[in-house]
Amino acid sequence: MEEKKQNPIKKFLSARGVGQVVTVLIGLVILCAVFNVINPNFLRQRNVANLLRQIAPWIIIGIGQGYVLITANIDLSIGSVVGMSCMIIATLICNGAHPVPAVLVALVASLATGAVNGTLVANFKLPPFVATLGTQTICRGVAQLVNNNMNTDGITGAKFGAAAKAMTNFFYYNKTLGIFNTFWIALVLWAIFNFVLAYTRTGRHLYAVGSNTEAAKLSGVNVSLTILKAYMVSSFCAFVLGLVVCAQTGTGTTNAGMSYETYAVAASVIGGISTMGGTGILSGVLVGASVWAVMDNGLQMIGTQVGLKNVVVGLIVIGCVLLDVVRRTGRLGKRKS
Amino acid sequence: MEQYKGQTIVELEHINKSFPGVKALDDVHFHLRSGEVMALLGENGAGKSTLMKVLSGVYQKDSGTIRIFGETVENMNPKRAQEMGVAIIHQELNMCQHLTVAENMFLGREKKKGLVLSQREMNVEAGKILKSLAIDLDPTTMVGSLKVSMQQMVEIAKALSTNARILIMDEPTSALTEKEIEEMFRIIRQLRDEGKGIVYISHRLEELQHIVDRVTIMRDGRYITEGNFADMDMSTIIANMVGREIKEKFPRVHCEKGKKIFEVKHLNAGRMVRDVSFSSYEGEILGFAGLMGAGRTETTRAIFGVDPKESGQFFLDGKEIKINKPMDAIRQGVVLAPEDRKRDGLCTKLSIRSNIELPNLDISSNRVGVVNRRKVTQMVAKAKENFSIKMPNDEVDAGSLSGGNQQKLVVGKWLARDSRVVIFDEPTRGIDVAAKVEIYNLMNQLKQQGISVIFVSSEMPEVLGIADHIIVMCDGRITGELDIGEATQEKILELATRFENKIATGAAGA
Repeated sequence: MEEKKQNPIKKFLSARGVGQVVTVLIGLVILCAVFNVINPNFLRQRNVANLLRQIAPWIIIGIGQGYVLITANIDLSIGSVVGMSCMIIATLICNGAHPVPAVLVALVASLATGAVNGTLVANFKLPPFVATLGTQTICRGVAQLVNNNMNTDGITGAKFGAAAKAMTNFFYYNKTLGIFNTFWIALVLWAIFNFVLAYTRTGRHLYAVGSNTEAAKLSGVNVSLTILKAYMVSSFCAFVLGLVVCAQTGTGTTNAGMSYETYAVAASVIGGISTMGGTGILSGVLVGASVWAVMDNGLQMIGTQVGLKNVVVGLIVIGCVLLDVVRRTGRLGKRKS
Repeated sequence: MEQYKGQTIVELEHINKSFPGVKALDDVHFHLRSGEVMALLGENGAGKSTLMKVLSGVYQKDSGTIRIFGETVENMNPKRAQEMGVAIIHQELNMCQHLTVAENMFLGREKKKGLVLSQREMNVEAGKILKSLAIDLDPTTMVGSLKVSMQQMVEIAKALSTNARILIMDEPTSALTEKEIEEMFRIIRQLRDEGKGIVYISHRLEELQHIVDRVTIMRDGRYITEGNFADMDMSTIIANMVGREIKEKFPRVHCEKGKKIFEVKHLNAGRMVRDVSFSSYEGEILGFAGLMGAGRTETTRAIFGVDPKESGQFFLDGKEIKINKPMDAIRQGVVLAPEDRKRDGLCTKLSIRSNIELPNLDISSNRVGVVNRRKVTQMVAKAKENFSIKMPNDEVDAGSLSGGNQQKLVVGKWLARDSRVVIFDEPTRGIDVAAKVEIYNLMNQLKQQGISVIFVSSEMPEVLGIADHIIVMCDGRITGELDIGEATQEKILELATRFENKIATGAAGA
């Protein structure tokens, strides 16, 4: 048999998840161009800086949800963990704690939630939808309980007000190299978790578990531990966003992060991470999060109503999932036999 | 492993293994030498797969000795088996479709430098192994994009990458084409010549001559015999495989064969249903025999309209009927009691009453769709009385009934609506002997009522004991028909293993 040499471009596009990312990236560029034609302020430096900061939250939680989706599970507790993390930090600071221990407490609470999610799904075999819906409600409850169901006062007016001020500046208001820190934080998280997913044994096992749990098990992969790790990463990312939200508003709000888990799914799915597991790359989350933020920002700039954005983005998400189903099974409405 | 060549590398002695209610392995012996291909033969349920699962540590033996390379292994588990060089190529493929060939081969044993995976090293290594097997395949290809045959080759390559010296292949050729089978045999011969021991499980008896050195035959969980393949002829092998006497009693009822009720002409539906034609008559139970995977279940599904068919005609009482979906079949009176009654036959979480009601809502409800409770109660009473279904009341979950009673319920729900043709697919699987007899009586009862009964079963004795006329399938085709007077287990097995001869006989032993 003769040696088959593949076209290098074709090969690049057929590598894991790259195809969808490139497709969506092209769509994103077109989208930006259209918005810029309608309102030339769209791509001015000032708006781009804002845009990058608006992308950051969806990157952060998109990473977490992406990890869980790749293992063919889902995490619905993300939004509540964002809220819980934000409320714990703000309440502790307002009650006279230094921001550092406040943040650490929030971190511990968030990771504990991830551990519970992972254990319920991987060890107790609960359907991930139900298990994380439960923790979603619990975490929202905790967010409400910590300050007697009230939003907190401003954290900069508390005992360690100066430290709190420094925290809000660092995580939200300051820029480094002309770009808001929030975006850099998202980018660093992305770089770390992209590395783990693409180049380490853990990453390989995440894909294997999502692709074929039985095969992974028979090959000696610790399936439970792998799923646990995915949920821990997801909760960690939600914690980081809780911190960012707290820095942004300067207070703790009990409904912070409400329905963010859906946005996290959207960012992942638009970027080509399948809800059926086993496929997608974290670069997709960068693109998916951008589509989300660009729609948000762009539609606002051309003066449409808020509701329209939700309608449009919802349609995009459904479209992306349909595409994914068609690609996997070859057609719509027929089960794979 | 040159020093092991021709030596006994696997010794299984006095292996016993029971599952609740079943003795799966009864004092079984098995020996494998290096550099040979050992065929492990037996009917469905003879215990071949169980024995191999004991050897590879998936199941724990109850008692007996496992010796591998002369070392006695007490607590076998999959990891230990892998370390000792035992690898199973599973019948159902166990590959991650979304990972590449190399990623699959090294799954769970990834090579890495520090934290980082050594992708390149793994790709090179995988390439070497594939090349040593003369398989032309890029290790960075996604497994999902490969044909089944190629995935199977990757499984073999994966086994070799763990330095396997004992390879167990369970029906490796069942999904392959002629050319792919030759390729598979080439690789098996190569591995044999390298001194590996290969256990080869297959139902395709005529395939054996091309690669097999020795044969071990099992029956009903027992070791029957072993020997050189060259010293055995096919009829000896078959006789040893089926040699059991018929133990159960089969209640046979004699009826006069009446007029033709149901006829299927030239039914084609995918690879597993090819040009199937048959007729069933009043007062007759039509048996469908064959090995698992012969296409019988697929045939019943195509008739019932579950799976799409490419062509074919159905005639009921001489008139042609169209069946495109299950509702068509049900309306015309052709009904199916499916193979997996818990999954396909019943809604186990619904009550008995709801299960009987469900397929008959069209006749028990009025035009707006309101269900007439009295009619349903009558149906339930009729089913209960006709088939003596034992139940506390009709509101308990169908899943709480015993296997035999569940089967009666499946039939009962259909006969609430005067069906003409009842197809039973493996109705006695997984139920005890007493319940089996009740199912046989049920079929006899239908036969006496003039209903056409089609009875699919992989258990030859029960087909011989109950059916009046037997159709044998193999590989999606009908390979023969036998009247009950002339049918024997040997004849059925001969027909059931009549695969299309995919390889010219001249290639034997090459």
